[in-house]
Amino acid sequence: MVDLPKKKVGIVACSGEELAEGTVTRLAALKVLEQLRPQETVTICLPLFLAGGEGDRAFARFYPTIAVDGCELRCAARATEMYSGKPAASIVVTELTAGAGLPRPQGLRRLDQVGEKAVALTAARIAESVDELLEQRWNRSVGQAISLSIDSGQVENQLVVPVVSEEPIQATCSCGSGIPVRTLVIEDQPVTLIALPVIFEDFRQQGKLPGEGTIRELLDTVKIYNPIPAGAEAAYAESLLREYAIFCADTQAVK
Amino acid sequence: MTDVKDSKRSQKVVIVPCSGIGKTYGSVSREAAYVVTEDVRPDDTQLVALSMLVLGDESARAAVAANPAITIDGCKLACATKMVQESGGRVAQDFAVLEVYRRYKQFKPQGIAELNEGGMQLAEALANEIAGVVEKMSSSPAMGDEAIKNGAAQGSSNGGHNG
Repeated sequence: MVDLPKKKVGIVACSGEELAEGTVTRLAALKVLEQLRPQETVTICLPLFLAGGEGDRAFARFYPTIAVDGCELRCAARATEMYSGKPAASIVVTELTAGAGLPRPQGLRRLDQVGEKAVALTAARIAESVDELLEQRWNRSVGQAISLSIDSGQVENQLVVPVVSEEPIQATCSCGSGIPVRTLVIEDQPVTLIALPVIFEDFRQQGKLPGEGTIRELLDTVKIYNPIPAGAEAAYAESLLREYAIFCADTQAVK
Repeated sequence: MTDVKDSKRSQKVVIVPCSGIGKTYGSVSREAAYVVTEDVRPDDTQLVALSMLVLGDESARAAVAANPAITIDGCKLACATKMVQESGGRVAQDFAVLEVYRRYKQFKPQGIAELNEGGMQLAEALANEIAGVVEKMSSSPAMGDEAIKNGAAQGSSNGGHNG
């Protein structure tokens, strides 16, 4: 069975090369990704929100994301919100270190001892945020934590997120391959749907053939990851069915 | 009144490295940028952080708009080059770390948070190539114009690309 993406927490570091605090964000993010929470976290380079594709821009909607900034400019938090989705949490190194009574770190390339302390402090704060966010329910179709005020049926619908197999413990960025997407034409408009290739493959492997009996379940699964405008379900269903038939035919032809 | 020639000479070449966090080549690009801007050509170059260009920060955009840029990309997605271009800047030359590595295969880079010796040597080699291009650009009053093309052409033979 194909594994649909597991719930993980995204980390976007500003990585600002002009400030020692930027180096702190990068090293702290790496510490979390490789040592503190390797199985629960993913990352992406900030510029990919502009330079990458739809899958990259979907990052902060798909994963509850922690923006880690070196200074009050908050490039990571603001750019993530502008181009991907509102970060679920925001950490600013200068605020964190000031709160801990640390002086400003020095050294862009090689951090001083204060910088190393700042890395440890920031990494610990990121890991705390990861744990907090993993306890929350996340709606991938709108990129927000699910409020308890939503009715239980809707909540259950949003939580069907199968678990993936274990992954190697090495920080890898999601550039260009983070989230699989596929673009459909729905009512003459191109619409990019998150996770559609793996959803199709999952259905195909389960022997669910394209047809009326499959379409409701397919539509419900797609809705976990994508917002579907009110009144557009029939058009989405028709397009999805057509695209799924093409997918199955193509897969068969390759074999 | 400022002489045009003096104005050109007061320009600094903007160095924009990839801000990659999860790949060794990203770390090499950043280290090479630091070597150029801190050690080799500190008077002729300035580092601009990619994250500020992504945000559209005015000072970062002004820097790339007013000065020729050399970009260093860690992967084929070429974020640094694309962001400078989208920010209204002109890329005098772009370097791809992978292409540079192909010319210095004796320097095998490993590590992300901390580069191994091979990674540091590759960064130094890349920095020297960049410094060579900066030298050509800085020594010409027509910095950023024809001289860039000439310098970049030579750089290209070393693996860089004309912008």
